Amino acid sequence: MRFPILSVITWAPFVGALLIMFTARRSPLAVRLIAAVSTGISTALSLWLYGAYDRESALTGGPGFQFYEKIPLVPPLGINYELGVDGISLLLVLLTSIIIFAGVFASWTVTVRSQEFYALLLALVTGVYGVFVSLDLFVFFLFYELAVLPMYLLIGIWGSSGEVRPRGIFAWAYRETGVGTKEYAAMKLTLYLLFGSAFILVGIFALYVAAGTASFSFLELEAATFDPVLQRWVFLAFYVGFGILAGIWPLHTWSPDGHASAPTAVSMLHAGVLMKLGAYGVVRVGMGLLPDGAAELAWLVGGIACINVVYGALSAMAQVDLKYVIAYSSVSHMGLVMLGAATLTEAGLNGSVFQMFAHGVMTGLFFALVGLVYEKAHSREIFRMGGFGRVMPGIATAFTIGGLSSLGLPGTSGFVAEILTFMGAWRSDFPWWLLPAVAGTFLTAVYVLRVAKQIFWGPPSPHFHHLEDARGPEWVALVLLVGVLVVFGFAPGLALVPVDTATVPLLARILQP
Amino acid sequence: MTVAPYVLELGVGALMLVVFAVGVFGRRRVGALATAGVFVLAAGALALAPSGPALGGMFVQDGLAIFVKRVFLAATFIGLLSGLGSPDRALARRGTEYHLLLLASLLGMLVLASARDLIVLFVAFELMSIPLYILTGFAKREPEPIEASLKFFLVGSVSSAVMAYGLSFVYGATGSTSLAAIARAPASPLLTLGLLAALAGLAFKIAAFPFHMWVPDAYEAGPTPFVAWLSVAPKAAGFVTLFRVYFEGVGDRAAVWAPAAAGLATLTMLGGNLMALPQTNTKRLLAYSGIAQIGYMLVGFAAASASGTAMILFYLVAYVFGNMGAFLVVEAVARSEGSEATSAFRGLAQRSPLLALAMLLFLLSLGGIPFVAGFWAKLYVFWAAAERGLYWLVLVGAILTVVALFYYLLVARSMYIEAPTRTGRVPVAPALALSLVLCVLGVVALGVYPKAVVMAALRVASPLF
Repeated sequence: MRFPILSVITWAPFVGALLIMFTARRSPLAVRLIAAVSTGISTALSLWLYGAYDRESALTGGPGFQFYEKIPLVPPLGINYELGVDGISLLLVLLTSIIIFAGVFASWTVTVRSQEFYALLLALVTGVYGVFVSLDLFVFFLFYELAVLPMYLLIGIWGSSGEVRPRGIFAWAYRETGVGTKEYAAMKLTLYLLFGSAFILVGIFALYVAAGTASFSFLELEAATFDPVLQRWVFLAFYVGFGILAGIWPLHTWSPDGHASAPTAVSMLHAGVLMKLGAYGVVRVGMGLLPDGAAELAWLVGGIACINVVYGALSAMAQVDLKYVIAYSSVSHMGLVMLGAATLTEAGLNGSVFQMFAHGVMTGLFFALVGLVYEKAHSREIFRMGGFGRVMPGIATAFTIGGLSSLGLPGTSGFVAEILTFMGAWRSDFPWWLLPAVAGTFLTAVYVLRVAKQIFWGPPSPHFHHLEDARGPEWVALVLLVGVLVVFGFAPGLALVPVDTATVPLLARILQP
Repeated sequence: MTVAPYVLELGVGALMLVVFAVGVFGRRRVGALATAGVFVLAAGALALAPSGPALGGMFVQDGLAIFVKRVFLAATFIGLLSGLGSPDRALARRGTEYHLLLLASLLGMLVLASARDLIVLFVAFELMSIPLYILTGFAKREPEPIEASLKFFLVGSVSSAVMAYGLSFVYGATGSTSLAAIARAPASPLLTLGLLAALAGLAFKIAAFPFHMWVPDAYEAGPTPFVAWLSVAPKAAGFVTLFRVYFEGVGDRAAVWAPAAAGLATLTMLGGNLMALPQTNTKRLLAYSGIAQIGYMLVGFAAASASGTAMILFYLVAYVFGNMGAFLVVEAVARSEGSEATSAFRGLAQRSPLLALAMLLFLLSLGGIPFVAGFWAKLYVFWAAAERGLYWLVLVGAILTVVALFYYLLVARSMYIEAPTRTGRVPVAPALALSLVLCVLGVVALGVYPKAVVMAALRVASPLF
């Protein structure tokens, strides 16, 4: 039997979580080391996986899903533990590894109940890996739930309540619902995402029953053909269900609240990877299994994505809390991801997947930096801070590089993703999508540069003294993330070659007459 | 004549006699004796094999009967075990009475599971119900239990009357009290009307919305170990009756009841979940959540198929462990804090991490979260409904689980996020701890490996259709 590399990548963090729960009681250092080692194993293996994926075979009609594993779980119901990666999931597994590895180091300083914190975080990561590699819709759904649920406790216990609360005529909202507190954010996020999973569940059942093959296997369902009317409705269900996680307007409001309240590593993981999980669901399950439904509803997906891009950017401009700026920028960038997918062109879909990766790394970097700034300055209010560049040059430099990638400067991965998406939009059936997309990029430049100038490069603020730059383990996170952003910006082919092997057959199914 | 088909019923009868005899001379060991007796019967039930119809077809010991009898006995064992050593003075002083009544009700359930005749069915139903009224008002010196008991009694009697009225129509339309003959009888408006009235009566018993009003009061007022049992065992008995009367042997005509059941399921899920939202007393919260759970089971009833029936049976098993467990944690906390309010759970995770973890597992199971029993239960029930094309019902149910999760998470939030107001461990009596361990084991085992029970449920449900 071959070495089950995907299973090892997926379950290594979970084993780490169990070890932490049962062996590392009262030893915070052991907890961190176990976390670093178990995610390190996954990271190293996913790097190897990335190199070992056979691109030629995928291009020449060989198996698209490689490193295939299959164990029957509940044979009479057709549930199998079935794993495999293609070009898209390959890149996203790598993204997950990078973010969680950096996340463990970025939250090195969590001291309150750190044992439970790391155990939940690692369990969550297993869920994320599982979603990306599973080829059985049922197992996919299980992993999906595992990726959503620990979030409630992670935000509720270790989160921070923001300083931004409704005032004036909306003050009642704080009194009645607790808007702005971490408990509110945790509940809102969990309920929104589970609301989405209700739609996903119905969609999966509908496919299972309609296909009539008594199998949840992605590969078998892909081979089945579904009635166009069913396709339309089920695609809509998947779009709403996964779209909530991807932050589609107007169901995105959990995301700024949740990301702003979450502790650093959770924000990184959630904005960096979990939102991509939603977009991945739409592409893999929605577009992959329901080609006609996807083609029919592309106008809706793209139209809403345009609103996302502009609305997210405008909202980010209006924020005074640093974490909310980053959180709304995620909403805006997820719009670009969905827009790229909706163009149904090769360039657009490649751009979409590349944007998932680029934005994941970028936003992970941002949240890591914001976490560091908050930990040192104990403030998230943009206009109280100033001139931090002098005392924390490393953090300032990393923030600026992340910001430039966010606004799409050539030489960073953000540029590659955006230019591909724009090309896709121009060649799609709706060339006018280009307008809001480009406008969004412009607005991004406005809010990113404004924040960078105010916090890092402006005159020093009188409120803060004795601030320090990043320290030991925190550098690991920053260097890793910045490095990935720049490397993939200069050599996009590293990602695009495997991605292309997956997107071309996917589009061929959708566009066939 | 052989006694093989009635061995469990005779066993419970003998146990009642022994409990009575021992109770007359000294009441100290009555609880332990009754618990041990039920344990022996539960273990014996595992060895039972189906046998043919007895008493001229009035009594059947088929797979379905044996399956639910095991559920009744397991639930009763956990319920009795958790009550041992209870500091409740009424329970200690009148232990014989308590155990005799509970066993009498158990006897009713056992007979009910095998009844294939309207007369036997009705008598068994009353044998099950009447002790419940008394037990609800067990703390007879306080006003709330008396009020709850009276309410339960009045509502219960009316529902029994409605059911008897409906069954009389059924007899009038078919000329027989045998369920087998009724199933074969040609459809007629009178028969449908009778069965519809009986359905309303049964809906009272399983506490479907809008026939649920007795539930929160009864649950709040009764002794908690009894309530834990009340919340699961009679519900299971009610569902078996539904299967016997509406599904067994009628073939395709079972689908006639799908619209009514789907409507009842929607109302029950909606009502139970929404009314649970404002509750601050955990027992009332669990009462409304229990109503919602019944709604989910009715989704399986609406499927009107063998798989729907089997999935309800699985759901009942998962529900026994999850719901009883949750009530027992409430009992443990209430004994220590003297309060059943959700605020009594504040910071429980830091005071008694294991107890908090157990409660979290039970709540997640009730909420339908993966890797605990309740997830598979909900999933299978939804799946059975999806198989019959009831996608809208699945969507309604799935969305309402989100509402349910809100109030379950509020308790989780109290336990895990809020800071404790008192310090020190919450003490848990050994017997209560043992019954909690059983519930945790049940919830986790079914969550990790549901297959065995699902297969058994499918095996016993398929002969009905």
